[in-house]
Amino acid sequence: MGQKGFFTDTTLCIGCKACEVACKQWNQLPDDGFQFTGMSYDNSGHLGSSTWRHVAFVERPVPSPTQNTAGMAFSWLMASDVCKHCQRAGCLEACPTGAIIRTEFDTVYVQPDVCNGCGYCVTACPFGVIDRREDDGRAWKCTLCYDRLGEDMTPACAKACPTASIQFGDVEELRERAHRRVEQLHEKGLDAAYLYGADAENQPGTGGLNAFFLLVDKPEVYNLPPDPVVPTMKGKDAWASMGWGALGMAVMAIGAVLLGREVAR
Amino acid sequence: MSDDIRPEDLEKRQDGRNIDSRLGVLAGEGAQQRVKGIDEANPSRGLLRTRPSQSGVNAESPSYYGQPAIKEPVWIWSIPLYFYVGGVAGAASVLGAAADVFGGERMEGLGRRCRWVGTAGDIVSSGLLIYDLGRPTRFLNMLRVFRPTSPMSVGSWVLVGSGAMNTASLLFAGRRGWLGRAGEGAAIAAGLLGLPLAGYTAVLIANTAVPIWQATRKSLPLLFMSSAMAGAGSLMELLPHPKRDEKVLHLFSAMGKVGELLAGVAVQHEASRLEVLVRPLKHGPSGTLWKAAKVCTAASLALGVWPGRRKWMKVARALLGSAGALLTRFAVFRAGKVSASDPQTTFQPQRQGMGAAEVTGHTHASDGKPFKFPLPVLHEASALPRREIPAARHLESELGPEPPTAPTP
Repeated sequence: MGQKGFFTDTTLCIGCKACEVACKQWNQLPDDGFQFTGMSYDNSGHLGSSTWRHVAFVERPVPSPTQNTAGMAFSWLMASDVCKHCQRAGCLEACPTGAIIRTEFDTVYVQPDVCNGCGYCVTACPFGVIDRREDDGRAWKCTLCYDRLGEDMTPACAKACPTASIQFGDVEELRERAHRRVEQLHEKGLDAAYLYGADAENQPGTGGLNAFFLLVDKPEVYNLPPDPVVPTMKGKDAWASMGWGALGMAVMAIGAVLLGREVAR
Repeated sequence: MSDDIRPEDLEKRQDGRNIDSRLGVLAGEGAQQRVKGIDEANPSRGLLRTRPSQSGVNAESPSYYGQPAIKEPVWIWSIPLYFYVGGVAGAASVLGAAADVFGGERMEGLGRRCRWVGTAGDIVSSGLLIYDLGRPTRFLNMLRVFRPTSPMSVGSWVLVGSGAMNTASLLFAGRRGWLGRAGEGAAIAAGLLGLPLAGYTAVLIANTAVPIWQATRKSLPLLFMSSAMAGAGSLMELLPHPKRDEKVLHLFSAMGKVGELLAGVAVQHEASRLEVLVRPLKHGPSGTLWKAAKVCTAASLALGVWPGRRKWMKVARALLGSAGALLTRFAVFRAGKVSASDPQTTFQPQRQGMGAAEVTGHTHASDGKPFKFPLPVLHEASALPRREIPAARHLESELGPEPPTAPTP
């Protein structure tokens, strides 16, 4: 089985949205309506309950050494965003029903027949990936094509990607490939290339991502958080604080009873 | 499964999938998603806050067209109302157990009334929680597993346990023999469970990615628990009660109100570490709610120390105390929603070292840049050894003076 994941190399993305379409078709997801957002060529906005792949389009007034824009100070950034299938997944650790599980492929999967739509995973995801569909009442996100993996097939988005921007495989192997790619880009003069979430060292807050990215600008430009953290890591502080609060409350309740008793005589 | 979509249903309505049911089998992973007609694309999206086709990449702190970075909590009004009701139920159970154990015979009536409030609160709480679920018919799935990492799972079990214990104590306490003793034990157990019941809701919202809730995680439980005391005391003062219980209730609710005001200051102080974080508590509707809560609580306290003991003053005091407790929950809830909708509230604290760095003590963000003015890390964690990851050497337009890096402890 091994750890399966995606390596999304955004320098190869041409913004064709084949991944969005393939994902919708394979998973038979309802459409997002057909509105114009005005955000460059991006008309799906953000990942959501029925949008499991989302291509971000950024038009930068900055030249890029790897893009020929006829001398203009301009370059494109396109990035296909997806659920990150974190090693420490906020949604999984928050799910009170056990609907969200870690599969044999080390991916994070929501079981639709168990989810009761409490909405806690939605607030627990530091990337804003999982969402509850209003009509449906349940939380949904990318499954890393769990049904296809079981048949030894490649996930639909990676299968459909025409430029190998989305690469699917064993996470270890993808990491090596990604490091080589970054070095190659640095040699070509694209100094800004780096890996986002490749391992626990790079992103201690999530323990590394099974679906990690090669980016060439700040993560915020792609709507990715610069230093995400699984909420559970900080939840301990709140539990400790509640413990002190409980002690104080017990003392005050007993104090009120004893003092009130004294007066009542 | 009853949720399956049948092909004939699809023919009846255009459901946005555009799948001809004669040609395609609906067996995909997302085919079960229920659709009520073609949905609006992200109906919550308002006007863009940036110029179209210009995502502000050159700004000091860029964002993606001003789009939110995380999802807004999907909960509705019933959740903050539950925070209040559950808190009242918990605090009442605590007071009831204290009255049973330390109050002697004189306080028996108070203990029983507290347990009635606790039981009613537990039942109403369950109703409010089930009402908010996307799939209310599956509320029992909350009790499929016990998951210590999930405050919601812990809280579900606490609420169920508290309801069971309160009910048992109402049924059996005061009877003769072992049943009566079991009832008394249940009353004490309900009191013990009342402590986490009053506080876990704060842990639940602090344990999320919502910036303001996460940032105030140390003071929020204290605010919610003292607010629960103020709410329970005020409610019991409004309900009919004998004169000899008055002093206890007044003391209990007054302590709660003092705690509520102090913890409110602490919450605001904790959020004030960064301007973007505290903004929802100062401005807009959530800021108004927050101020109104404080005013109600303070006015209620003032009426308590005012000379004169007229009936209307007692009623006004209890009403103001209840309003303060209720508004506190709604203010915190609204502030969280506002906080989640602004990408800068997510990004800027993380850039300042208030993301994962607070816990793990590393010194660089995921793009290899050092944090700006890193805040002191809470515990002695040495910075993680960084392998030579090829980090970004950023574009000249962004290069400023190197910010100071964290002194390694």
